[in-house]
Amino acid sequence: MKLKCAWCLSCLFVASVVMANPIEDQIRIRQSTYAVMGWNTGKIKNQIVDHPETYHKDQIIAAANTLSALAHSNLLEELYGPGTDQGTGWKPTRLKADYFQKQDEVKEINTRLIKETDELKVVAETGDVAAIKSQFGKLGATCKSCHDLIRVRE
Amino acid sequence: MKTIQQKVWDWPLRLFHWLLVLAVVGAYITGELGGSLTDWHSRLGGLTLGLLVFRVLWGFLGTYYARFVHFFPTPGRLITYFKGDWHGVGHNPVGALSIFALLLVLAALIVTGVFANDDIAFEGPLFHLIDKSLSDRISGWHEWLVDGLLGLVGLHITAVFYYLLIKKNNLIRPMLTGNTFLRPYQFVGSNGSLSIPRFIFVVLIASSVVWIVWSGLVTDYLASLSR
Ligand code: HEC
Ligand code: HEM
Repeated sequence: MKLKCAWCLSCLFVASVVMANPIEDQIRIRQSTYAVMGWNTGKIKNQIVDHPETYHKDQIIAAANTLSALAHSNLLEELYGPGTDQGTGWKPTRLKADYFQKQDEVKEINTRLIKETDELKVVAETGDVAAIKSQFGKLGATCKSCHDLIRVRE
Repeated sequence: MKTIQQKVWDWPLRLFHWLLVLAVVGAYITGELGGSLTDWHSRLGGLTLGLLVFRVLWGFLGTYYARFVHFFPTPGRLITYFKGDWHGVGHNPVGALSIFALLLVLAALIVTGVFANDDIAFEGPLFHLIDKSLSDRISGWHEWLVDGLLGLVGLHITAVFYYLLIKKNNLIRPMLTGNTFLRPYQFVGSNGSLSIPRFIFVVLIASSVVWIVWSGLVTDYLASLSR
């Protein structure tokens, strides 16, 4: 009996350590993830659209790879837990409370994010600036559709 | 009853009106869609700025009915209008109120737009002059102003159709042809003649303002000061 209790308690302890992901951690990492996405989209915009003379094929490939990796990172499952519509990460979260009613729609958008970033990787490899630009437009519209849906307007 | 044909809207004003419709509808659609269209959002926003500067100057230098003094909704004029004693030509005082509100909201959209950013790949031409966190807040205001604009545009169009269908007064035709039809007692005076040199002067000023804001001149100049 004693042994069983100890066993249960230690299981609980291990589980709580593994699952310990306080709300604020999730928010902070979520904000960091999107900030890194924004860093990379900003770089692509700069090199592909605003200043094509600064285009570095390798940097754009790296940016596309990063965006794709982050899109694939399972963030919806791990960084959008219950309660994360309130709290402060690097700054107060801008996740709308109705996210929890719109999870299916958001999942669809995230699937599109994965598809568009994967496609961006492919065109980045070709070095065809016009094709990168047009694919980048589709990606930007995908980011925006999620912001319009579940991000609080400042 | 006998009517007289009267010139009310000079052609620069009519051109302004329909270009503004084009620019604002275009800016609205490209703003909502985002993606690659953000380039066009910026261009159409710039066009809107030019048109607004034009309209403000034309409100002082244009022909009679284009001038603000002749339709500014002063309290006196509004009272006359509500008593039913207003028989003027051009914008009636309440219409004028909505015109000024529209112009103000558009001006606010431009002022916020030039500092805004979308966190993805789009920034207004003066974004670099301010902090990112301030720009984020301003971007929020830009979006609220869009709601205000939709309301005012809705009101504007509803009013025009109310006049057309209920009051049997077609306000669309004068904005196309420039002419309206008056009862003799309404006649207040001719619209005066249009000055082409003034028109060119106003267009030059308006395009210079847009160029100064959009060319990066201001940002570059301030950057050179802090160096
Ligand atoms: C699944 C929905 C979704 C998608 C897709 C999405 N975002 Fe976001 N984004 C959010 C939410 C929600 C926040 C607010 C996060 C918070 O404050 O907790 C945010 C915040 C941001 C931020 C601000 C980060 C900070 O500093 O706090 C940036 C930058 C950003 N997103 C860029 C992007 C870019 C670029 C893309 C596309 C490559 C993108 N986002 C795609 C939902 C999304
Ligand atoms: C003609 C007046 C304008 C209209 C009707 C208009 C409309 C819009 C709309 C509908 C959006 C999308 C908002 C949303 O997603 O909810 C937007 C965003 C934006 N607009 Fe404008 N706009 C105007 C002028 C401008 C100008 C002059 C600029 C300067 C370049 C500008 C820059 C921006 C930026 C940077 C955003 C992104 C903001 C964000 O996503 O938070 N806009 N605008």
